[in-house]
Amino acid sequence: MKRSYLEVWGDTVDGRHLLLSILLGVGLATPAYLLAAWGFSQTDVEPALAKSYALLVGLGACVLTGVLAARIFPPKRVLVDAAADAGSREEAMDAIEAEYGPLGDPDELPAAVLREVQELGLYEDLARQHAKRAAREAAAPADPRSEQEANR
Amino acid sequence: MELLDLTLWALGMALIGAIVFGLLGLVSGTDETATIAPVTLLVILLGVPPAGVFAFFMAAIASKHITHAVPTTLLGIPGDTMAAPLLRDAQMLRELGVPHIALRKAISGGVVAAIIAVPLAVLFALVLTPFADAISSVAPWLFLGAAMLIAFLSKGRWAALFALVPFVLLVVGLQAFATSTTGSGLSISFFLGIATGPLIADLFLASSPAGRKLIGRDDQRTFELAADTRTWKGRIPNPLRVLDRKQLGYTTAAATVSSATFVFSPVAMTVLMGELFGTRFKNGYHRLTSTMSIRNGTTESTYIAETLIPLIAIGLPLSPMAAGPANPLFNAPPVYTIDAEAGTTNNLHDMLEPWQFLVFGLLAVIVAVVISYPFAMTQAHRAARWVMRKVSHEAIIGAFAALIVVICLYERGLVAILVALTVGLVGGLLNRMFNMHTGVQFMGFYVAALSVPAIMALVA
Repeated sequence: MKRSYLEVWGDTVDGRHLLLSILLGVGLATPAYLLAAWGFSQTDVEPALAKSYALLVGLGACVLTGVLAARIFPPKRVLVDAAADAGSREEAMDAIEAEYGPLGDPDELPAAVLREVQELGLYEDLARQHAKRAAREAAAPADPRSEQEANR
Repeated sequence: MELLDLTLWALGMALIGAIVFGLLGLVSGTDETATIAPVTLLVILLGVPPAGVFAFFMAAIASKHITHAVPTTLLGIPGDTMAAPLLRDAQMLRELGVPHIALRKAISGGVVAAIIAVPLAVLFALVLTPFADAISSVAPWLFLGAAMLIAFLSKGRWAALFALVPFVLLVVGLQAFATSTTGSGLSISFFLGIATGPLIADLFLASSPAGRKLIGRDDQRTFELAADTRTWKGRIPNPLRVLDRKQLGYTTAAATVSSATFVFSPVAMTVLMGELFGTRFKNGYHRLTSTMSIRNGTTESTYIAETLIPLIAIGLPLSPMAAGPANPLFNAPPVYTIDAEAGTTNNLHDMLEPWQFLVFGLLAVIVAVVISYPFAMTQAHRAARWVMRKVSHEAIIGAFAALIVVICLYERGLVAILVALTVGLVGGLLNRMFNMHTGVQFMGFYVAALSVPAIMALVA
């Protein structure tokens, strides 16, 4: 049977695991706090301070339940490594330029940034992209996007 | 207390705050209000002296907004609420195959902005202090106006504005219920309910068949971790060298402007500063990397200034930040209190001097930088992988549910839990359905406490 998941607070979880994790957390931290509150009230610690100590015990229990739950219930997410050369950079650059506007001519960059771009190995790609774009614009001068860009 | 004692407290608590929230920043989606506020509350209730509480908080926000850039740039998911405006540019740099550049620019900008924001915010606060009494005397109306403005400027627009009426009435009614059953009103429980509302609403959805259709997913969520491409050797890079001079200049300018405008939403300021100063960079690549630095710098400076200015000058939580993550610094009964009727406060505003805010604030931010910056620079990839592989979302939610219950029990037992649950469910649904975010709801809480009595007095 295929498992299904729930998206709670921005990530996928397994409903049963979530329920058990909450029961574990609340079920452990509540008695820990109540017992500690009762225990400290039996000593001659100042009442306000006794309550604070009990709170500290309760917090410790919360952290403990988090660690326990993390050991029992594995994450329900898929982590894949993006290969450094996934897709061509040219494709990515085209997509970015379509959304963001021209990436620009690397030769116009100040010296420090130019060095950064060269160290990253981006220089050739940026230069090629710029040349490509310049060629395209020369062919079709009334590109609405570049006009829009100029107006920004 | 001796100055040495205070300094040791501040140093120790700043260390704890920087480490805990530096690690939490790596966990994507850990909203600042939902995490920093409850834990700060806990620190206050445990009886830590004011300087320690303040340093803890400052180190926590500074540190979290450094490491939140790790999931944002390497995984393409916002580390927290403030990281959302960074996402698009980070994603583009990721596609160019240089996610580490996005990360380096973002956190270096954050470091620079955090350090200059502290003295600037103290300065702006001192300029504002002479007007504090005048501001306090019209506070009920200011809160009403601020609540309406924040509501209208939220994504919810008119819906969020009008939803304030039932929400405020709900708070008034619940306060009356708490007062009649336990003798006095509550605040921490309201606070926790609002902060964790989105979670509580999701949990209700998860337990209803209809709701499960809404949030059910066939597949696990997929995250793509960018390849590790560390380009520098040996020592930790100097943030001042990672940014070029123009980037440094505009990051500083954005931090300065956003430190002064403490009444605006931090997310909105982050977007705005990026637009305003980012467009000064003509070259596309240069603009992308600069915007990372400017925006993340603004996440630091808005958080710092919006905490410091109301705290030093007024003592009332009159900024979106003060009404959100920083709220416990203003109001955490029985330790820190705001007396709505008498219009007096007994909180960090009254307990620390301006110079102490400056010194301990800087100390805390520097501790956070010293801990989180090298960590994020060198361990980002490994840390992101470890969190994604080892820490299940179930465990985080379980621990938070337990934390809500324990803190509510501490405030007023079962009644407090019921109140938090009610406010959380209603608030969470308002947030989900109408985009009435938690900031608007916090202001609603203060409208119920401060403005409603003033309105009633006017009507009567």
